[in-house]
Amino acid sequence: MKKRLQREIQQNISVAKSLNRRDFLYGMGSSLGSIALAGMLPQNLSAASSAGPLSVKKSHLPQKAKNCIFLMMEGGPSHIDTFDPKPALNDLHLQKFTRSGEAKSAMESGTRYYVQSPWKARQVGKSGAWMTEPWQHLANVADDICFYLGCQVDSVNHPTALFQVNTGNRFGGDPAMGSWVTYGLGSENQDLPGFIVLPELSYPQGGAPNWGNGYLPAHYQGTPLRPKGSPILDLKPPKGITAEHQRENLNLLSRFNHDHLEEHPWQDDLQARIENYELAFRMQMQVPGILDIDQEDDRTKEMYGIGDDDTDPFGRKMLLARRLIEKGVRFVQAYNAGWDSHDFIERAHGSRIKSIDKPIAGLIQDLKQRGLLDETLIIWCGEFGRSPDNGVRDGGAAYGRDHNAKAMTMWFAGGGVNAGHTVGATDEIGSEAVQTVHHIRDVHVTLLSLLGLDDNKLTYFHGGRFKQMSQFGGQIIPELIG
Amino acid sequence: MLIRIRRGGASVSVSEGFEVEIIGFQGNDMVTFQSLRNSETRGSLKNGIHKMDLVKKTSLGIAFLAISSCWQLSQGAETEEYRKGEMLFALDVKPILSNKCFSCHGDDPEEIEGGLDMTTREGLLEGGESFDDVLIPGDAEFSFMMEAIRWEDPDYEMPPKETDRLSEEQIWSIRDWIKEGAPWPDDDRVAAIRDEYAEGVIVQTSGALSEDWANRRYKEEDLWAYQPIANPAVPETKSKADHPIDAFIDYKLELKDIPAAPLADRRTLIRRATFDLIGLPPAPEEVEDFVKDRRSDLVAFKDVIDRLLDDPRYGEQWGRHWLDVVRYADSSGFSNDYERTHAWRYRDYVIRSFNEDKPFDQFAIEQIAGDEWDPDNPEMIFATGFLRMGPWEHTSMSVAKITRQQFLDDVTDSVGQTFLSHPLQCARCHDHKFDPIPTKDYYRIQAVFDSTQFADRTVPFQPYENLVDYTEKAVMEKRIQYFDEMRKELSEKSRKATEEWCRENGVPVGTRRELAKQGIPDDKLPPRNHGLTLEELGIKKVGDKNVARTTFELMKFEPYAMSVYSGPKPEKEVRSGSMLSMPKDPSSGGSMSSMHILIGGDPFNRGEEVTPGVMSALPGSNDTIEATPWNSIPDSPDGRRLAFAKWLASPENTLVPRSITNRIWNYHFGRGIVNTPNNFGAMGGKPTHPELLDYLATWFLENDWSIKELHRFIMTSEAYRRSTEHPNRTLLTEKDPLGDSYAAFRHRRLSAEEVRDSMLRVSGSLSDSIGGLPARPEINMDVALQPRQVMGSYAASYEPAPTAELRNRRSIYAKKIRGLRNPFMEMFNQPSPDESCEVRQSSTVTPQVFSLFNSEDSLNRSVATAIDLLENNKNRKKAVEELFHRAYGRKPDREETKLSLDHWKRMEDRHEDLVFEPREFPREVERSAVEEMSGAPFTFTEVLFGFDDYSPDPTFADVDAETRALADLCLVVFNSNEFIYVY
Repeated sequence: MKKRLQREIQQNISVAKSLNRRDFLYGMGSSLGSIALAGMLPQNLSAASSAGPLSVKKSHLPQKAKNCIFLMMEGGPSHIDTFDPKPALNDLHLQKFTRSGEAKSAMESGTRYYVQSPWKARQVGKSGAWMTEPWQHLANVADDICFYLGCQVDSVNHPTALFQVNTGNRFGGDPAMGSWVTYGLGSENQDLPGFIVLPELSYPQGGAPNWGNGYLPAHYQGTPLRPKGSPILDLKPPKGITAEHQRENLNLLSRFNHDHLEEHPWQDDLQARIENYELAFRMQMQVPGILDIDQEDDRTKEMYGIGDDDTDPFGRKMLLARRLIEKGVRFVQAYNAGWDSHDFIERAHGSRIKSIDKPIAGLIQDLKQRGLLDETLIIWCGEFGRSPDNGVRDGGAAYGRDHNAKAMTMWFAGGGVNAGHTVGATDEIGSEAVQTVHHIRDVHVTLLSLLGLDDNKLTYFHGGRFKQMSQFGGQIIPELIG
Repeated sequence: MLIRIRRGGASVSVSEGFEVEIIGFQGNDMVTFQSLRNSETRGSLKNGIHKMDLVKKTSLGIAFLAISSCWQLSQGAETEEYRKGEMLFALDVKPILSNKCFSCHGDDPEEIEGGLDMTTREGLLEGGESFDDVLIPGDAEFSFMMEAIRWEDPDYEMPPKETDRLSEEQIWSIRDWIKEGAPWPDDDRVAAIRDEYAEGVIVQTSGALSEDWANRRYKEEDLWAYQPIANPAVPETKSKADHPIDAFIDYKLELKDIPAAPLADRRTLIRRATFDLIGLPPAPEEVEDFVKDRRSDLVAFKDVIDRLLDDPRYGEQWGRHWLDVVRYADSSGFSNDYERTHAWRYRDYVIRSFNEDKPFDQFAIEQIAGDEWDPDNPEMIFATGFLRMGPWEHTSMSVAKITRQQFLDDVTDSVGQTFLSHPLQCARCHDHKFDPIPTKDYYRIQAVFDSTQFADRTVPFQPYENLVDYTEKAVMEKRIQYFDEMRKELSEKSRKATEEWCRENGVPVGTRRELAKQGIPDDKLPPRNHGLTLEELGIKKVGDKNVARTTFELMKFEPYAMSVYSGPKPEKEVRSGSMLSMPKDPSSGGSMSSMHILIGGDPFNRGEEVTPGVMSALPGSNDTIEATPWNSIPDSPDGRRLAFAKWLASPENTLVPRSITNRIWNYHFGRGIVNTPNNFGAMGGKPTHPELLDYLATWFLENDWSIKELHRFIMTSEAYRRSTEHPNRTLLTEKDPLGDSYAAFRHRRLSAEEVRDSMLRVSGSLSDSIGGLPARPEINMDVALQPRQVMGSYAASYEPAPTAELRNRRSIYAKKIRGLRNPFMEMFNQPSPDESCEVRQSSTVTPQVFSLFNSEDSLNRSVATAIDLLENNKNRKKAVEELFHRAYGRKPDREETKLSLDHWKRMEDRHEDLVFEPREFPREVERSAVEEMSGAPFTFTEVLFGFDDYSPDPTFADVDAETRALADLCLVVFNSNEFIYVY
């Protein structure tokens, strides 16, 4: 009797598995972009039970990079004081003028004056890329970098611009780039989230929607690893509960769930939920090890500036980013805040640059020596650039810059980028991009293409139409591709 | 008869009346089908649209199908007057070219991609920069455009977007046209051919941006929602179904030879109905009463339905569905994410409306135009909160014209999705690509809201409103005092230093502001915040911002209502972060400026002028053809919305009654008759049971738009009462692969709110109180204390309410902050309030396990349940039985009882040696911050006054080993599939 029952259950489960596959096709098909679905098929058909939404999918295009590390400088770094120096401002320094208009915010209006950079700049590397004085370590890897000075966005408002750079949509609510990429490519490691975010302790304006999955399924949501407290929420049971204690509870749960499954052999999500508890248990054991950067040798830590007060926080993030990429996480985004220098730019930008200069150079060098740089795409940018002028503040005692959506510097390193080149240019004072000018949507399309994704095919049906990261399509910027 | 197949199985549809069905997929571009009459008759098809002919009937009268191997000109081939190629051009090729090609290849003579102009035959013959053999008349195979549209050359895949890609049918048309010599008749001749031979329907609208769009033809099936709502006859079925719903459902089942599942047993049914209507598990005695009820199943069940509909919990559950659609939140999003201090009065209005069974037409009118309809009725004012539900903010960093336009775009699209099941945003920049909605209609509808201005109106608190939880007020006042003191000292320091500076610099002594007023020039003024270090400046700003922010948020205790009024643009710019008072004279802003189509959606790029209007493609709605009181909107600032709302909430409107009926059905069955409740357009789903949808909509109108009556009607059908377990699942999967036959009921996972509320209910600690200021349950502490940047500073921490009674309220009342989502809710697919949610996802993601198995919240619920079970039961066996009864609606069997008791004992042994420390709640947090302007790091202390008089829920430290061990068992039950799923 028991044997027969078992056999029946076995049969039911195998049918349930084949149903799984079909349900997946049918159930999700109506809302999935067609190509992304087609890309899922081979794995899905060959291993129905294990193929989750994060399983590796075939790319649309040849992949120049497999993984991505996105360095987000929140607040809007000044292009003028970093990689796009404007000596012409020295002559204009503190000259006054006024600005007004229906299309200008209160911040941009009124009496203004020009502001020179506190720093001199020099050309570095074989490529002769420009960098201001505070960049010391990054100069050593300048030839691995492709600088792009021609990017523009639509908004001078922090959260709207940040949403746009992260998701393509100014108003938030759309999937972040990391979500699109994991949706399109899946992830190599099924035991970890495919899209991990290393935020600052305080979340940026606009908050978690900056790494939200938007209308994509929840599997593609960015998982923040918190710099303080539990890295993943509730990763550990309450204090005092041991793994054995938990295992006992899990065993009973598994028993209840399996008995229950016998009564509902066709409901495949029950099986998925049972497997999830086991996966979570494994993750609970593994994650702390992955995050433990003390496993790295001292020389490596030194490369990233770990141990030095100025560079330690971001150095840890960079090292962690490398470890996550090594573990097969598809997309890591790291935040560095405090770039909104309306005043005191010398001090503010000086300290920000110092905090990332060595850690980022360390990351590039480390990836290179491990042979990972070629397959990793590194992106560096903020949400907009800064203005060559400023509102009247403090009688000229504390120079800073306001926001500028018309000129933003970004740079890229690693897989497939046109390393050792500077693309695009701004006008003489850095107020507006004038050469190889592209909207951020074109940058998104280009970066997706380096990862093997075609923005026009990476679509998802929602709100009455097939949506895509570029919103309505964009174009590849060939100059950025090596 | 057409069968349409798209790549990847994303869409498969068979024309109504056609007797085949899709039974499976091969690879990603083939489908297999079979005859409905005879399962032996099968075949397979590739992507594209296929024309099928009924070629013969066998002696048994079974339809036999053959597929024409290549596309035949559907409109009939050559005629005497027109050559075949001309026919193809006029009917198929020209529309394809103009829809898919011209925008890059000719529409804009300044910017012609690749130098290829496709708008004329000459242009095509000449070719572009890269190819001169784009079109070789008569030779399709060597014409490069064939290669491009087939996507054979990876560098020239045209059109380049996957979603724009031509179907096989379209490719064949172009191929055949080239073969026929690629004739290019002039516009008159094209028009003549179309007049005579084109299939599909032209829809007259208020006006198109282009001639081509105006003359566009729609397939009738895509216009189903624009047809008047029919009152179809109830079909006769072999099942002799006497409920009309079952007749429609069974008719289709019988046609496909699918047997229906048996009815669910009473235990299953009452759990299903209870979760469905009130979002909570049935109490053990409710289950037993129903199970023991000697009356017939249906009679006994009707009583259950009535009881549940009378339960005030009903409005909370169904109000929640509505709030998903309208994107309810208690904050405004963006830079400051200010609290929406009075959004809760709209939330409670919605809940009351459901509980009172307010007719839906009235409910709709109130939300769109309550203030114009009956301004003295508080409910009407609360209702208009709907118009302001979208995320919105305006600050000194944003451009007023842009943020205003953002509101107008938001409300236009929201009204479209919510009531009309049409995402109108698709027509913002161009005439709608698929539906008969011209951009002109988009801006006509937007003009309805052009006179809508924000106002936080004073509306006295009503006796029926819940004003119980004022505990937060004292906390907020303490916070203001604290931050005020923090900044005062620094202000004083700066004042002294500034005076000193003035003396040193020979300027009259005074503050910077005072001196500026006296006309002292900029460069002679003392520096701002003089005398403060950057660290001190950072701290002072934190103080300033927190005082201002908290003072604004204190307004929540004053009787304002988040509302609107009608009038011209107010003189004063509307900024976020203050109460927006209602002007004494709403017309004081002057006259209304004219409203225009915005080219490309850009508020700075005005096109043709428009006047307020409605969706002109709906029957009887085109005021440009015939203006009627029903379809016309006045031009005066006042009354636009009311006229629009009355057009909308009318039995004559073909969308609205279908939309709401479909939504209700969707929530009952887990899928709509149209599975895209926010979109009835061509890109939305088609109704699986169109006659049933119309029957229900008509029935709904006849029953005075009563939602409760509709629940009764739907829930008494057999379709609703069927088991989820079908006796022949293999057959069902084969015959109903999409799962839309209703042969068996669909099980579902509980929603995020239901999971939490059910745990509270099972533990006996769910508060009964209804409505009021947003409740503050405990959320994950790491997230609660997470520093959150807002413009120029940091938002205060999230502090839960001081007592369990106030915290453990239903989840619909929990404060919903856009920038600080409750991670538990988010994990279980509570949708983001930034986008309208038509149907909840229920994904299974790993971190759910952490939230439900490891979290403090789950532990607290488990301990509370254990305490309650021990208090109310004589022995352990009874306690275990009661646990199962409360959680699952049934008693455990003998084996489960034994497993549970053993577990209890085993865990108790473990717990004997364990010591748990009481929970400690932080009284203050040290914040490391960066001064936003200067990048200077500084620290400040935030005191958490909310924990001053805090009584936490009992946890492990508060109870003995026996209780803790039982709590472990409860935790297992809360995590089990039987608890999380409803069948």
